[in-house]
Amino acid sequence: MSMRSYCGVQVCIDRSRSVIPTVDLTEQVLPKLVCAGNIPGSILAYNGAAIMAMKGKECVAIAADRRFGVQAQTVSMEFDKVFEMGPHLYIGLPGLATDVQTVAQRLRFRLNLYELRENRRIKPKTFMSMVSNLLYERRFGPYFVEPVIAGLDPKTFEPYVASMDLIGCPMETEDFVVSGTCSEQMYGMCESLWEPDLGPDDLFETISQALMNAFDRDAVSGWGAVVYIIEKDKVTKKLLKTRMD
Amino acid sequence: MEFMTMPTQQAEKPIQARFSPYDMNGGTVLAIAGEDFAVIASDTRLSQGFSIHSRDTPKTTQMTGNTVIGSCGFHGDVLTLTKVIQTRLKMFSHIHNKDMDTTSIAAMLSTILYYRRFFPYYVYNIVAGLDSEGKGCVFSFDPVGSYERESYRAGGSASSMLQPLLDNQIGMKNQEGAKQVPLSKAKAVALVKDVFTSAAERDIYTGDGIVIHVVSKDGITTETFPLRRD
Amino acid sequence: MECLIGIQGQDFIMLATDSVSARSIVKMKTDHDKMFQLSDKLLMAVSGESGDTVQFSEYIAKNIQLYKMRNGYELSPHAAANFTRRNMADALRSQRPKFVNLLIAGIDEDGPSLYFLDYLASIIKVPFAIHGYGAMFTLSIMDRYYKPGMTKDEAFQLLQRCITEIQKRFLVDQPQFKVRVVSKSGVEDLGFAKPTPQVDS
Repeated sequence: MSMRSYCGVQVCIDRSRSVIPTVDLTEQVLPKLVCAGNIPGSILAYNGAAIMAMKGKECVAIAADRRFGVQAQTVSMEFDKVFEMGPHLYIGLPGLATDVQTVAQRLRFRLNLYELRENRRIKPKTFMSMVSNLLYERRFGPYFVEPVIAGLDPKTFEPYVASMDLIGCPMETEDFVVSGTCSEQMYGMCESLWEPDLGPDDLFETISQALMNAFDRDAVSGWGAVVYIIEKDKVTKKLLKTRMD
Repeated sequence: MEFMTMPTQQAEKPIQARFSPYDMNGGTVLAIAGEDFAVIASDTRLSQGFSIHSRDTPKTTQMTGNTVIGSCGFHGDVLTLTKVIQTRLKMFSHIHNKDMDTTSIAAMLSTILYYRRFFPYYVYNIVAGLDSEGKGCVFSFDPVGSYERESYRAGGSASSMLQPLLDNQIGMKNQEGAKQVPLSKAKAVALVKDVFTSAAERDIYTGDGIVIHVVSKDGITTETFPLRRD
Repeated sequence: MECLIGIQGQDFIMLATDSVSARSIVKMKTDHDKMFQLSDKLLMAVSGESGDTVQFSEYIAKNIQLYKMRNGYELSPHAAANFTRRNMADALRSQRPKFVNLLIAGIDEDGPSLYFLDYLASIIKVPFAIHGYGAMFTLSIMDRYYKPGMTKDEAFQLLQRCITEIQKRFLVDQPQFKVRVVSKSGVEDLGFAKPTPQVDS
């Protein structure tokens, strides 16, 4: 399986140090090689989210949790984080809810202009560049989202998945991508459950199990999930009932 | 010019030297309790930051004929802690003329850890063995001695990757209508190899190899299994 | 310390806000109205930084009225809520963000709708919503007793439960809540609701 290249930045994590000389076990000693998405208190973890996408045989899947919360308080269990960007193209936006919505709307605007000008559907890879460009425009005052893209090529129907950090550093993979407050858990699940050339039904089962078991070990994501299975001639949206705690 | 005054201002700052008594040496441990056996495994990598110190340092220690402790975190504390436990167990066996129970070792470990509440051993422990009825048991600990008996637990650097998978595969979580069937030794060992292989793909602090101990009434068997070494 | 409550019923939305106007630790006024009527069938409850609340709400209200004059038809609740969100989101990354939490209630051909907006400009459509510390005490009550398609009486009873709980458990005194209902016939003022010790289950 492919190794992961990562260009991450740490964002505004200001934690006041105690005056009493105590030893902080978590921060000082534990070196974490992950982005701010899984650090409690980070802006990326303010609302909580878990999103992943997987490649299958002539299909792709993207799945997300449905929680909208303000830190520990759950406000809604019907929040959309996955957005349709075309008949075979979806984007998942975990992160700060306000930026999720802003980025989704701005992307939709740019995509409409593109498709109007070009008079054809966008390719997933081109769309990925568009997202990357949008995010990198705000390099020094970023939108706090780390997108996941899943789609099929409009002509060849080649599966495509990619993810990105909050300033638009892209990563395309041949297997799966994850993003959100429980990315470590999701990596653990995906790495074990995923296998090449899964059919749509098996892919649905795999991505659902991977997502559900991952966010059940996260306090700020979960509360229901949504899965999109994208195939050449149909897209299936399924809502998952999960544990609500 | 204003910036000329800068060097003097900088020189006025007092020099501070800081020393951290802790380090993080990575490593992952994992234990599963079966009906009449327990499996405990750890990877064999010892690392610090981006360097690998050793590729052959198991983080499990056999304590008695039916108890194994897996400990990871700061390796200096791991060594001290295991030495302290072994000393206490030796004293116990001299006094009582028998080995301490797994359950009692767990309780003792909790007090040893809590005794250092404000300067803790930076160690994540998992104790596996057989209880007084011969049933497989696993106890997991935090660095300051909070502990709990469980049927499976992952600890250390890749714990967050392994635990959800154990929930799914052993706890049968999120599997509607699935029946809890007693776990066989062979399946447990195969699962351990599987999940460690997955963890080694993503966690840079886990790799090189694993050591798997199977504790049963006939004693402890140990096997090794290679992991990726990059 | 402020508290905004919204409940969606069968063919209406009930909004309630606490009526305390406070400066620092001082209660200046206990009959302060925190709601703004955006149009005939659109009502907004506002909390947050005192200057921003009025300035921002009036800006939104006037723009919604302007839209109606220019186009001859009104913004739907959905459109109005998203217009408000966009303004907040733009302000969020400007030199002076607006620190306001909102509930927007409205009704159109598709029925009643209630939108929850926090100061970061996240928007969600919800069946019930509470802003402020009051949410800590009342969200669970809503989860337990809310049911879709409630009548005005039922919604008011649910509201009473919430207000009573806030009065009972919250450190900060909120003596009365201003209540309004948005329905097909427009905005109806239900006056003040006070905590009642006995609410039958």
